Amino acid sequence: MSPVALPGSGQNVPGFGDLPIWLVLIKVLLVFVFLVVMTLFAIVFERKVVGRMQNRIGPNRVGPWGTLQSLADGMKLAFKEEIIPVLADKAVYWLAPVVSAVPAFLAFSVIPFGPTVSMFGHRTPLQLTDLPVGVLVVFACSSLGVYGIVLSGWASGSTYPLLGGLRSAAQMISYEVAMGLSMVAVFLFAGTMSTSGIVSSQDHLWNVIPLIVSFCIYAISVVGETNRAPFDLAEAESELVGGFHTEYSSFKFAMFFLAEYINMITVSALATTLFLGGWRAPWPLSLWHGANAGWWPVLWFVGKVVAFIFVFVWLRGTLPRLRYDQFMHLGWKTLIPINLVWILAVTSIHVLRDRGWPAWKATVLPLGIVLLLIVVPALMAYEGYTARRLAAAAEDDEDAGREEPTFPIPPLDLRVPTSPVRREPVTAGLRGGATALDRTIDHGDTSDG
Amino acid sequence: MLAPYLPILLLFALATGFAVFSVGIAPFTGPRRYNKAKLDFYECGIEPTPQPMGPSRFPVKYYLTAMLFIVFDIEIIFLYPYAVANKALGLFGLVEIILFVATVFVAYAYVWRRGGLDWD
Amino acid sequence: MHEVLLAAGPLRHGTVPLGEAIAFWVLGPIALAGAIGMVLLRNAVHSALSLVATMGCLGAFYLIQQGPFLGLVQIIVYTGAIMILFLFVLMIVGRDASDSLVETLRGQRWAAALLGVGFALLVAIGIGRAVSPVTPTDLNSPNAGGNNVHSIAALLFTRYLFAFELTSALLIVAAVGAMVLAHVEREGPRPSQKRLARERIRSGRPQPLPGPGVLSQHNAIGTPALLPDGSVARESVMVGSMESQEERQALPTPSAGEGGFE
Repeated sequence: MSPVALPGSGQNVPGFGDLPIWLVLIKVLLVFVFLVVMTLFAIVFERKVVGRMQNRIGPNRVGPWGTLQSLADGMKLAFKEEIIPVLADKAVYWLAPVVSAVPAFLAFSVIPFGPTVSMFGHRTPLQLTDLPVGVLVVFACSSLGVYGIVLSGWASGSTYPLLGGLRSAAQMISYEVAMGLSMVAVFLFAGTMSTSGIVSSQDHLWNVIPLIVSFCIYAISVVGETNRAPFDLAEAESELVGGFHTEYSSFKFAMFFLAEYINMITVSALATTLFLGGWRAPWPLSLWHGANAGWWPVLWFVGKVVAFIFVFVWLRGTLPRLRYDQFMHLGWKTLIPINLVWILAVTSIHVLRDRGWPAWKATVLPLGIVLLLIVVPALMAYEGYTARRLAAAAEDDEDAGREEPTFPIPPLDLRVPTSPVRREPVTAGLRGGATALDRTIDHGDTSDG
Repeated sequence: MLAPYLPILLLFALATGFAVFSVGIAPFTGPRRYNKAKLDFYECGIEPTPQPMGPSRFPVKYYLTAMLFIVFDIEIIFLYPYAVANKALGLFGLVEIILFVATVFVAYAYVWRRGGLDWD
Repeated sequence: MHEVLLAAGPLRHGTVPLGEAIAFWVLGPIALAGAIGMVLLRNAVHSALSLVATMGCLGAFYLIQQGPFLGLVQIIVYTGAIMILFLFVLMIVGRDASDSLVETLRGQRWAAALLGVGFALLVAIGIGRAVSPVTPTDLNSPNAGGNNVHSIAALLFTRYLFAFELTSALLIVAAVGAMVLAHVEREGPRPSQKRLARERIRSGRPQPLPGPGVLSQHNAIGTPALLPDGSVARESVMVGSMESQEERQALPTPSAGEGGFE
């Protein structure tokens, strides 16, 4: 075995270790630039698409068709005054935006953009690095991203950010569970956690088809994980002003903004990698032999990512924000149990088929057990529902005994009292321009008025 | 054995450099106009009342959520290696993992039943 | 295959590959500083953050010792989940909370001393084993071809099966413990929206309470609203912001000089 076949390099693509350092640097720089440009693009894209959905044009002033709007906004933020509230914990206040942005960038290091290509005379995969535990890197980065939010909320020394930060952290960790569980079935199918391995395991069939339940749960939970509408309770304007970044301004605010969009791009890229075949060409295009070779896959990859971002924007343009309790219920009481049962079913089918059971038997048995597992709690839930309804009916009966209260309205024969007689202004009064009405109010400080 | 981590390290350095530079340069690029009202914390135009951030301002509920998160996080971490290696582990592994998930599910059902998952 | 390479080539520092040596000497002090900071820093959140740094460095140590799965799990579980729990608790406790000088647990000094001695013993044994000649185990073969996770699974689900299943029992204990400590049982069912609306109307005051500071000089929540006649609207002041009921009663009345219109 050559020394370059590192244990970290997965079983698929050799050649991560033997690259000259300048080529690694170029790839790092490319990923960085890709993320920043994608962020700028995603912001304009979102505003344009939401604009169209609301019968507006969206930004159209800066650059051709308004494409440079986000760049202009970013530049503007750089020249805004930086305000640090007096009660803020300076060090942590400063640290939080950095902690928020850095993991967002790091998560992209394991995402495969394409197959092995020739780059400046070296054969290299279009992926920054490939670890046997690649997906865990993304998972770890998203769990580190929570810090940025918790710390910014705490360090601002203000009520709204603290509430927003706590809420948002609770939300992110809740949906991280659902997200983590939805990836289990993918690992089961691919037999590996390396991102490149997962892509190459989808050469015949994209995971989204057999694992549609996992995909749906993943898609829902990443919306919660990235704090996007309709799950944007962290910055619910109507309740919390701006949430955790209320007290942030200038470039510090820009960092949070950047992190949010990069996270959105990352989860889109991960969805592409895990479920949508990664950089593989979609069906009609995949008939062409050259579609999955050379630099073309980058195009398919970016196309899929943009399509996923479009769904994010679509959701934002369509759905109203959830209430916090409904939101937590969706995460803990719906997504997690469905996920667990689904994982067990998929695992059982998978294992039984491997043991040589006939396909129908291997499918029917676990599904039957799952149905049983669903039916019994459903019956229990129905029982609880009936009990509650009965209780409510009893409560209604009890209320019916009393007189039905109504909103106090004035009686129909109300005589409107006549207006009080205006008193004449006292010219030699204590207050020069005071009206008579003013003086009907007992000030108590008439001596120095 | 560190070669696969080198690009991550470089990206980390680049991202940290970028973030620290941007955050650090902001006070110098922006204007500075002192105003006491700006430095107060923001309460929608209501004058902030100095209140000690005393205990019991936040529901202890968040603690429960974080604890449950740890429980499930660990469960997920155990499910991953099983999912990757499930071919080699066979029927025995399947029984094991079902037992494991069922046990954790008991805890989950208990918390649900007691109302630990209810938010108002 | 015993040669371990950094991208630059077979550089070595003693018996340890150069990259590993650099990583250790950079991260080791950070981990140590984090641990010391955790003990010494006054502010609870700062000290939790330095513990986070230590945990992150430990994760990196696993990574450089050829345990990619363990390293990332360390970051996910310890830095990602457990430290977030710590932060939540600190925030619930409050930011200005300082150490209590009253010892509420009886015999905690003795227990702490005992545990300290036990811990010192453990560390001593660990160091003792480390300085005595040990044969380093080569992880290249179990890790070969990206099999790190497979090898862990093979061990975990066969040889350490009992410990694995015991973990699930531990998780149950954790969940139940959290419920016992943190859960406040609701008295009666949650009132329905219908019921709340009815009760509100029955109370004789369907409209909201007056906001603070209306018609007054300030609008802070501690400032009572003034009624059109200049008297104080007592309902407008948050009960919590007043020290006591007496203080609420002692609110300045118009005759005491607090101005209305100025």
